[in-house]
Amino acid sequence: METFNTKTTSLLFILFVNALVFSQKNNEELFFNSIVKRKADKHNEVFFFIKASSFFIDKEWDSTLIYTSKQLDKTSIQTDIGDFLHYFRGFTFKKKKLFKEAQKEFELISLDFDYFDLVKMHMGQLSLEMKKYEDAIYFLKPLLILDNEKYKYINRNVILSNLAISNLHLGHFNKAEEYLLKNKELHEKIKDTINIINSYGNLANLYYEQYKDNLAIPYFEKAYQLSKKINNFQTKLATARNMAVVEENRNNYKKALAYRKEAEQWKDSLNNQNKIYEVAQLEKQFAVKQKQQEVDLLQVENKAKEVERNGLLYSALTLLILLGVTFYFYKEKNKTHKIIVAQKETLDALNATKDKLFSIVSHDLRSSVNALKTSNAKLLSNLEANNLSALDTLLQRNSGIVNGAYNLLDNLLHWALLQTKQSYFYIEPLRLFFITEQVSHNYKPLLEDQGLTFENSVLKTAKVLADQESLKIILRNLLDNAIKFSKPNGQIKIYTTVSRDFCNLIVEDTGLGMSADTVATLLRDTPNLAKKENEDIIGTGLGVQLCKSYIQKNNGVFSIESTLGKGTKMIVALPKTT
Amino acid sequence: MQNINVLVIEDRPEESKPLVATLTANGYTVVAIATNFKEALELYHKHPIDIAIIDIFLNGNPEGIAFAETINLDPNSSKPFVFLTSSTDRALFERAKLTQPFSYLMKPFNELEILYALETAVEKFYKQADVFLGEEEDTIISEDYLFIKKGKALKKVLTKSIIYIEVEEKYCNIITEDEKFVILISLTKILKFLDKNRFSRTHRNFIVNTEKITEIVPSDNLIVLSGQHKAILSDTYKDILKRIRTLK
Repeated sequence: METFNTKTTSLLFILFVNALVFSQKNNEELFFNSIVKRKADKHNEVFFFIKASSFFIDKEWDSTLIYTSKQLDKTSIQTDIGDFLHYFRGFTFKKKKLFKEAQKEFELISLDFDYFDLVKMHMGQLSLEMKKYEDAIYFLKPLLILDNEKYKYINRNVILSNLAISNLHLGHFNKAEEYLLKNKELHEKIKDTINIINSYGNLANLYYEQYKDNLAIPYFEKAYQLSKKINNFQTKLATARNMAVVEENRNNYKKALAYRKEAEQWKDSLNNQNKIYEVAQLEKQFAVKQKQQEVDLLQVENKAKEVERNGLLYSALTLLILLGVTFYFYKEKNKTHKIIVAQKETLDALNATKDKLFSIVSHDLRSSVNALKTSNAKLLSNLEANNLSALDTLLQRNSGIVNGAYNLLDNLLHWALLQTKQSYFYIEPLRLFFITEQVSHNYKPLLEDQGLTFENSVLKTAKVLADQESLKIILRNLLDNAIKFSKPNGQIKIYTTVSRDFCNLIVEDTGLGMSADTVATLLRDTPNLAKKENEDIIGTGLGVQLCKSYIQKNNGVFSIESTLGKGTKMIVALPKTT
Repeated sequence: MQNINVLVIEDRPEESKPLVATLTANGYTVVAIATNFKEALELYHKHPIDIAIIDIFLNGNPEGIAFAETINLDPNSSKPFVFLTSSTDRALFERAKLTQPFSYLMKPFNELEILYALETAVEKFYKQADVFLGEEEDTIISEDYLFIKKGKALKKVLTKSIIYIEVEEKYCNIITEDEKFVILISLTKILKFLDKNRFSRTHRNFIVNTEKITEIVPSDNLIVLSGQHKAILSDTYKDILKRIRTLK
C-alpha cells in the first residue's frame, strides 16, 4: 500500500496543477480586465496608472511592476486607485510565483475594495500554494455563496476545485467529495470536456484514496473514455496512467501493461508535441533573429544614410561658407582695386605735375644761370676795360638773378618737405608785425632798387596762431610776387584787418593785376600748377601753391582780390589770438 | 648800462663771422666763440654769459642740443639760448624742444631775425612774455639784472647798482651810481620780480635799495641814500625802520 500511496499523490499533484492552469484561461479574467480598462479610462489623468493597467491587461508583468511602483511613489493617490495598483502587483507576483510578495500586496488592499472577493480568492490560492490548507479554506469557502453578479469575475469552479484540493490534503474526504461533485456537476453543465475529465479524475482519486474502489474505478474509466474524444495529450496521458495504476492494483497486469503502453505513447506524443513546439519555438526564434538582423541591417543602413546625409549637409555648408568667403574676398579685391585705380589716377596726376614742375624749374634755373653766365662775361670784359661804373649795375643785376633763383630753390625745398611731412610744424601765438618786419627786411634793397615804396602798417598788437617758419615762407612768397608783378614806382603795402575770429594779413600792390579767370585758377583746389600768364616773368606758380598749402595747414583761408592793370590784394586770414 | 654778453657756439667761421659782426653792430658783446661741445662748456663756465647762440649741428653731430641739455641740468647756472639750424627735421626738433627755453632760428637769417630771436629767448627764459615785442614795456627783471631794450639793442643793468627807483605813471626812473635813465615797466611787475630782500618801498612812488641807505630822517620823511640821493619815506611805509639793520 505504501507504493500505491505515493503513486496516488503524484496523480493528485498533476491534477491540482491542471486546476490552476485552467483557472487562467477563462472568461472571468477577461471580464475583470474590462473592468480595469474602464477604471483606467475614467482616471486618465493619473498617467502611470493608465500605463500600469494597460501593461496588466497585456500581461507585461515586469512593466506592470515598474509602473505600479512609480505610481505608488507619488504621495497622493486615491484609495481605490491604490487598491487597484496593489491588486496588479499582487497578481503579478503570484504569476511570477513570488507568493510571499503577492500575499503582502494583497494584504495592503483596503476592505472597501469593490472586488475584495477576488482578493480573497487569490489569498486562498496563495495559501494553497504555500500548503496552508486551512487558511485556503478560510479564504475560499465564503466565495461559494456570492451574488451571481460577482461570478462574472470569479470562477466558481476554480473555487470549488481549490477547496476540494485543500480538503483532500487535509484528509477531509467528505468535504472534498462534496466540492468535487459540485465541481463535476458544474463542468458537466457547461460541457467543458477537459475539466469534466479533470473533475472525474479528481473524484476518482478521492475515492481511491479512501479505498472506495467501486466508486473510484467508474470515474477513472469515464475519464479515460472521455479523454479519447479530446486531443489533449496531457489529459490522455494522465487518464491512461491512472487506469494503468488501477489495473495494476487489481493485479490485472496485462491491462495495466496495455494502459502503460498507451500512456507511454501519449507521453511520446506529448514529448513530440513539446518537441514540435520547441522546434516551432526555435523557428520562431530564428525568424525573430532574422528579422532582428534585417532590422539591424536597416538600422545600419539608416545610420549610413544619415551619415551620408550629414556629410552632404556639411559639405554643402562648407561650400557655402567657402563661396561666401570667396565672394567677400572678391568684393574686397574689387574695392582695393578701385582704390588702387583711384590712387593711380591721383599719382599719375601728381607725377605729371612733378614732371611739369621739374621742367619749369629746370628751365627757369637754366635761364637764370645762363643770364649769370653772360653777365659774368660782361663783368670780366668791363673789369678789363676798367669800366667800374658798369660793374656796379651788372653786379646789382646778378644779385637780383641769384635772389630769384634762390627763392625758387627755397620754395622747391619747402614743397618737397611739405609733401613728405618731415618738417617741424608747431602752431603758436605770433606777432604779425615783427614777422612782417623780419621778412621784408631782406627785400629792402630790392624794393629800393626797383623804386617801389613799401609800407608795413601791420598792427603791433595783431597776434595770430601759426607756425613761424611756414608763415615766413607765405609772406616771403607774397612779397616776392608783389615785387615781381609791380610796375616801376609802384607801391606795396602790408596791413591787417581784423574780423571776429580771424586776422587778415593783406599784401597789396599796384602792379599788373590778374583776370578773374587767373584768380580762379590760382585758388582752385588742385595739385596742378596754374598756367603762367606772364611768360616773360620768372615764375612757376609753385610759390602760390606753397602758400595755399601752408595756409591750409595753419587753419587759415587764402583769397585774392585783383583788377587787371590796377593791382592785386593777397589776403591771408589766420586764426587770431590775444 | 652794460652790453649783453653773448657766447656763440658755431663751428664754421664763415657763418660765425657775419653773426658776430651783426651782434657787435647792435650793441652786443660776443665774449667767446666755441666750435665744439667741450669748448662750449668750458667757455660757458669761464665767462659771465647772458645768452648763448647755439648751432645745432657742430661738426656734423647735433652737439648743440647736447650742450643745451647739459646746461639745462643745473637750473642755477642755466642761461637763455637760441638754436640756429638749417634743417627743420622733425625728429631733431622734437628733441631740441625738450630744452628750456626752446627758441630757434632758421638759417639763413637776417639782422632783425637774430635780434628778435635773442629777445624772445630772454622773455621765455625769465617767463615775462610780450615785453620787448609789446609797446607798454621794455624791461625784464631777473635776480641780478634788469634787461632793457634800448632802440634795437638789449642792455643790462646790475640790480645791485641801483640806488633807488622813482615811479612816474608808466615810467620808472632808475638811478644808479653812475647814471640815470627811464624804463617802461608797471609798478606791479617791479614789485613782483625785484629782489624783496634788497629793495623796499618807502613811498607810493619810491623803491629804494636798502643797502644804499645812509641816513633816515623820519621827522622829515626823508631817506638819504649814497651819492646824496634823497627819497621820500611816507607814513604808510615807515615799518621799513624795523626791517633795516641799524647800528645801535
